[in-house]
Amino acid sequence: MTNDLKYSYYPGCSLHASAGEYDLSTRELFRHLGIGLTEIPDWFCCGATPAHNVDELLSLSLCAKNLELADSIEGDVAVACAACFSRLKTAQHILGENDVKRKQVEQALDAPLKLDGNVKHLLEILAKDLGLERLAASVNKPLTGLKVACYYGCLLTRPTDVPNLDCAEAPTIMEKIIEAVGAETVAWTHRLECCGANFTLSRPGVVIQLTNAILDAAKAAGADCIMVGCPLCHGNLDIRQKEIEKVYSTSYDLPVFYLTQLVGLSVGLSPENLGLGAMIVSPFPLLTEKKLMETSLLDNQVSLPGIR
Amino acid sequence: MKKKKMIISQETMDVDFVRKVEALSDTSVRRCFQCGKCSAGCPMATFMEHPPNRVVRLLQLGQWRRIIEGRSIWYCASCETCSTRCPNKVHLASIMDALRKLSWDADGPSKESYVQLANKLFLQNIRTYGRQYEMRLAAVFNVKSGQFLKDLMLGPKLLAKGKLKMFHSKNKNLSEIEKIFSRIEEMRKNGKAL
Repeated sequence: MTNDLKYSYYPGCSLHASAGEYDLSTRELFRHLGIGLTEIPDWFCCGATPAHNVDELLSLSLCAKNLELADSIEGDVAVACAACFSRLKTAQHILGENDVKRKQVEQALDAPLKLDGNVKHLLEILAKDLGLERLAASVNKPLTGLKVACYYGCLLTRPTDVPNLDCAEAPTIMEKIIEAVGAETVAWTHRLECCGANFTLSRPGVVIQLTNAILDAAKAAGADCIMVGCPLCHGNLDIRQKEIEKVYSTSYDLPVFYLTQLVGLSVGLSPENLGLGAMIVSPFPLLTEKKLMETSLLDNQVSLPGIR
Repeated sequence: MKKKKMIISQETMDVDFVRKVEALSDTSVRRCFQCGKCSAGCPMATFMEHPPNRVVRLLQLGQWRRIIEGRSIWYCASCETCSTRCPNKVHLASIMDALRKLSWDADGPSKESYVQLANKLFLQNIRTYGRQYEMRLAAVFNVKSGQFLKDLMLGPKLLAKGKLKMFHSKNKNLSEIEKIFSRIEEMRKNGKAL
């Protein structure tokens, strides 16, 4: 399939380490859909939450620098990580309307700012630029019978005026995408609640409490799995799930997919190319039960080596 | 924290600090009419001694020391729920950023050291490598915070899945990031930025 969509790609730090499968599945899916993706050369960390928490000027400067680097590549900026997406959009917003801060950042970069690049999350690219019809047309293995809890977390939609991805309190973009590829969605309470994000390093107890509430709500709503678009949410929901089950003496066993992994499955990409082996809560029993993967493959898949 | 009686007088109200917060956050604390929606939706309010609406109230009364002595600002997750739901457009998440910044610069008295340590290491990593390397971040955090065994069982699991990078490289254009850091430091020295 060919189309004229082209983007500069800002993966963000997590996608080069703990969220390697998000990076892999994004590249594979976009190649399959014929969407051009060129990684921004020598991109920097956007500063994420710690930078704006204690030093807004540094955070704005790092984001402005990344946007300047992105400017050398044709097309809008595609961002996979919800936190990077939020930071880049917020920087554009603040620097666009606050002259004092803009002058300070210009001074920090010692260059005129190039902020015009349109920053887009992968969800936006799939749902709006490619379009749901075209996405649905490329499906050849619909995810029939799979009940997905779409988890937005904090930074994809909040606050109201900045990311402008979807409604801040009742977004539907994830549900629309996953329904377009044949899956079912569940209505649940915690899709916009915070998972504790970067407290996973400093105060894991906080994360365990907040993430438990999310997993519990997803399970109660009858979901088979959770879909996310943020590597930090994924880290907390997937990597910490076993620990949470132990602390609360319960069992969730909810595989946590990145959106690109589920969409990738529906267009017929192989589990290896989507990095499914890297998930801590194995998705293979669920996928075989729902007949989304051949049973004969199961033994090989379970021992998949994760991300290369 | 021990409950100290609050005395509101010209001596105890420090409005200059509040003005700095307002300038940094580009929002007005005076707009708040204490509806409490921010605290109702705050996922972290349960961990704070001053929930978000009280933080704003204390600012209105110029009692900022009470805020930065506690841990509330360091337990804010920057989830932006408060800013989203405020009916009167008080950008509380930005106020929290400004409070942390001012407390951080003054090497504030808060006892919440883990969060501050994590932030410090995170920023150091950007300056040294250009990008974040989680394995290094977590390892150094454990050593510096004296929690050598924290999340030790996760390590091998993540390594086996290829989720931790043992080796990492520095950005080729690292000198540019160093310049940004040092220019900002210089601007602050010359009083050209807060």
